[in-house]
Amino acid sequence: MTIQPQIELLSVNKHYGGFHALKDINVTIPKGSFVALVGPSGCGKSTLLRSLAGLESISGGEIRITGKAVNDTPPRHRDVAMVFQSYALYPHMSVRDNMSYSMRLRKASRAEIDAAVADVAAILGLGDYLDRKPNALSGGQRQRVAMGRAIIRNPKVFLFDEPLSNLDAALRVHMRKEIRALHDRIGATSVYVTHDQIEAMTMADHVVVLKSGVVEQQGAPLSLYDTPATKFVAGFIGSPAMNFVGGIVGDTGRAVTLDLPGAPSLPLARTMEPRRQVDVGLRPEHLSIETGGAPGIETTATSVESTGSVTYLYCGGDPEIVVVLSERERISQGDPVNLTIAPDKIHLFDPETGAALR
Amino acid sequence: MRSRRLLNGYPKMKRLLSSVTDGKGFDILLVSLPLLFLLAFSGLPLLYNVLMSFQEVDIFSLGRLIRPFIGLDNYRELFAAPEFWPIMWNTMLFVVCSIAGQFTLGLALALFFDTGFRGSSFLRGLFLVSWVMPGLVVGAIWNWILSGDFGVLNYLLTSSGLISENIFWRSDVDYSLWAVVLANIWLGTSFNMILLSVGLAGIPKDLYEASELDGANILQRFSTITLPMMRSTIGAVISLGLIFTLQQFDLFAAITSGGPANSSNVAQYWAWELSFRQYDFAKGATVSTLMIITVMIAAVLYVRSTRHEVRI
Ligand SMILES: Nc1ncnc2c1ncn2[C@@H]1O[C@H](COP(=O)(O)OP(=O)(O)OP(=O)(O)O)[C@@H](O)[C@H]1O
Ligand SMILES: [Mg+2]
Repeated sequence: MTIQPQIELLSVNKHYGGFHALKDINVTIPKGSFVALVGPSGCGKSTLLRSLAGLESISGGEIRITGKAVNDTPPRHRDVAMVFQSYALYPHMSVRDNMSYSMRLRKASRAEIDAAVADVAAILGLGDYLDRKPNALSGGQRQRVAMGRAIIRNPKVFLFDEPLSNLDAALRVHMRKEIRALHDRIGATSVYVTHDQIEAMTMADHVVVLKSGVVEQQGAPLSLYDTPATKFVAGFIGSPAMNFVGGIVGDTGRAVTLDLPGAPSLPLARTMEPRRQVDVGLRPEHLSIETGGAPGIETTATSVESTGSVTYLYCGGDPEIVVVLSERERISQGDPVNLTIAPDKIHLFDPETGAALR
Repeated sequence: MRSRRLLNGYPKMKRLLSSVTDGKGFDILLVSLPLLFLLAFSGLPLLYNVLMSFQEVDIFSLGRLIRPFIGLDNYRELFAAPEFWPIMWNTMLFVVCSIAGQFTLGLALALFFDTGFRGSSFLRGLFLVSWVMPGLVVGAIWNWILSGDFGVLNYLLTSSGLISENIFWRSDVDYSLWAVVLANIWLGTSFNMILLSVGLAGIPKDLYEASELDGANILQRFSTITLPMMRSTIGAVISLGLIFTLQQFDLFAAITSGGPANSSNVAQYWAWELSFRQYDFAKGATVSTLMIITVMIAAVLYVRSTRHEVRI
């Protein structure tokens, strides 16, 4: 993979009237990589994607595609293809015509069109549906047509705006793999918007977490999981979400006391500023139940859910602590439990700014 | 509870009541009332009209239903009348030019207002004024506008240098039909615009975005997205336009009275003239029957075009 930037966003800003939707976005996307934009609803993911496509004009900064500034380039000259959340298939055209629309616009020859359509239809398994209108297709098939319409153009960049959100869970998992495989196969550069962190984590090489128009953190999926830069990212990445408990660093700086009944104290792997207020982040899958009297959080199980493969344990009240256990445990509601965690798995955040304390 | 016990003794009442509450059969009841109304006040006169076109009718036999049957004589005489073909030609010109004008202006305005600039919906609403005005009033207004001596239109045309001499729109055989066409275009444009606006608003915006990304310029977007997506609306607008235009009577009565020398006479006005000016009711009915056939063809086209709506 060559490390040549395909897309560069340089302090991109976007205002909708008085509303500041994108604030100083800086992202560099290498050629051939798969980038996911994640964040909660309304954080500006679609706005950013549409700005890339040229469907929205940005108010400040610069967008470059293969090194050229495209701020003033209309969408049709940007050589990007987009898969819409609604698919936006042309309802009056057959699948074949939907996919070949761009080729017909540039007056490609009949033979060229037929070959390209056959190719793409084979990749996507749409061969049997070429003469159907979109309203005679299932959701998954429509999704494929929308992808086909993008693939056939062989563009510099693929943009996806939550393409899987209208599909059922099983199909979503399947298409997730398929889109990624397709990306690798055609060696494209893709930007993928989703509000589903699992999609982002599983599909992307590089994840950009947005919150209220600001890039909270970007990096490789696992680095976001292992070393979240902020409390927001820590809570957003990972499922079930990280538990947060208020706390205060002990006098020695080597332990943290939690704001929980009984004021349990957990050892830390590093020395922190003594008597500092912190927010403590504990991932559910890093907690385990200990019977041997090691220092931990003494609490009671308020509810137990088992899916067969894992067990979800909900402990205490205020705040509730979720634990994921991969072993089947004979714990039932109301049992006392002692929760422990490896010291190096404890995340600490500044309660004011939310920044991670390292 | 009590009412149910009361009704137990009256199975018919119960069935009727349950047909209302369940909706079973109630729909038929609802439809049958307007249908009966239509039959009584539109269907029967229509049939009576067709019947009359095959009979010999004079002022004395007018009140009777059974009259001498003369087969196609009325039609034969009508086709042989010297004014028949000129009037049919006028009707065709009137219909085609009115619809073309109304549709083109209506579509242009609909596209203009669809850009959604500030105040566009208010302005669009104002355009409806022309549509809610009665044809006779519109006719009176256009009489002033078109007036040969002091009309605004002549003033505009002379002062912009397009003509050097006043045109007597209503009394010049070369212009009288166009005077009515002009007024009718004005009258029908807003109706076209509103229907076309609704059609335009029904096209999802992301289709335009997708086609723009696919490389379509504005003309290509219009021809590959807007027009095909509007097909059923356009079909409906044109068929309704045909029906309304063939019904347009008030403007002729108000502006030219079909004259001079039948130069602006059209079938619908001629039918009225034959029946109520010349008291040749059979001929009037014959012209009407010819128009019924034309309108029915338009109605079939209209129904077909709405049935072929693109589902999204
Ligand atoms: N045309 C507009 N005018 C004004 N504000 C807008 C406009 N479009 C979007 N916004 C605002 O910009 C913010 C970002 O919108 P955007 O559609 O990018 O969110 P998103 O991250 O895609 O959310 P979702 O996950 O719900 O799709 C939102 O707060 C939204 O209200
Ligand atoms: Mg969105």
